[in-house]
Amino acid sequence: MADVLGSFEQAVLLAIIRLDDRAYGRAILNEVAARLERDIAAGAVQATLERLERKGLVRSTLGSGTPIRDGRARRFYSVSAAGLRELNEARTTHDTIWRGFARPLKARP
Amino acid sequence: MSNPPALPQALLHLLLPVDARETVSGDLLEEYREARIPALGRLRANLWYWRQVGGIWLRAYWWFAVPIVFLLVVHDIFNTFRAPSGASYLDRLPTLAVAPMPPLVAVGVFVLAGVYGSWRTRRRAGGLVAAVGTFFVVWLFMGVWWNATLYPFAQAQQSNPYWIQAWQWSTHRAHPPSFFGFNPDTPDETFLRWMFWDNVGGLFFLGISMLTASVVCGSIGGALAVIAARWRPAEIHKS
Repeated sequence: MADVLGSFEQAVLLAIIRLDDRAYGRAILNEVAARLERDIAAGAVQATLERLERKGLVRSTLGSGTPIRDGRARRFYSVSAAGLRELNEARTTHDTIWRGFARPLKARP
Repeated sequence: MSNPPALPQALLHLLLPVDARETVSGDLLEEYREARIPALGRLRANLWYWRQVGGIWLRAYWWFAVPIVFLLVVHDIFNTFRAPSGASYLDRLPTLAVAPMPPLVAVGVFVLAGVYGSWRTRRRAGGLVAAVGTFFVVWLFMGVWWNATLYPFAQAQQSNPYWIQAWQWSTHRAHPPSFFGFNPDTPDETFLRWMFWDNVGGLFFLGISMLTASVVCGSIGGALAVIAARWRPAEIHKS
């Protein structure tokens, strides 16, 4: 079985897919925070994006800055074919593990 | 437009690798101005910014603090829980293997943090931030650890002849030195209070020596990374 992505890595990859061509650092951070329903540190998202890029699961390109960020460039991310394959494998693994169980799980009396 | 405090902004620039410096600081600035200031107000938005910078430091360098913290805990445990005679269980080991170990490890870790910080950020000052940050994390841990273990450790120590002797020597000297008019080393000082002030003194003096070591060693590490950068395509800025 291939390396299964962690849940945070999956959340980041899915956020990039959802945001499409608006997927840059801050937007990804807010999307992940909204989906996981908790405050996320910018460093956590940044470290995950760097790791995913090193693994070849995401690609990035530099975009132009805006006045609110004092003209500093944005880095836009997209999921690579390998990233999509890993996401599909993670979903398959998840579904396989849960097959046969009814949710929510109940304690034995 | 509002700006985050200058110090964490400067630290952030010394923490981030070259290719992430502009984009990540831009992301944080945008979030700070567009979302945090309107929602939280200036003070809490500034605290949020500090937290983000601290989080980025921790993710990059936390593991440098681990060996020093580990040695500190081991040293404290063996120093507290001694044989009934008062001897340390570490006395069986050769002196040269025990006594110089904590300072040597600390110096080595600070130098390594300096090298890695400079190499990662391609700035000599990046190494200094890594080393001094390591000191700061260890120092904070020391404060928490010594407070958390004060009572249980004092319970064990006050029944050991080594510690009773140390307490009596300290509190029954003829003319104990005064510290700005304050002196806990008085004959009527309880063991627990004496331990507390011993920890406070340790936090202060060990803190100063570790801070000095982290600045010196971090600078040396940064300089070593500058030399090593000659074999790397992109040059380290001498900032």
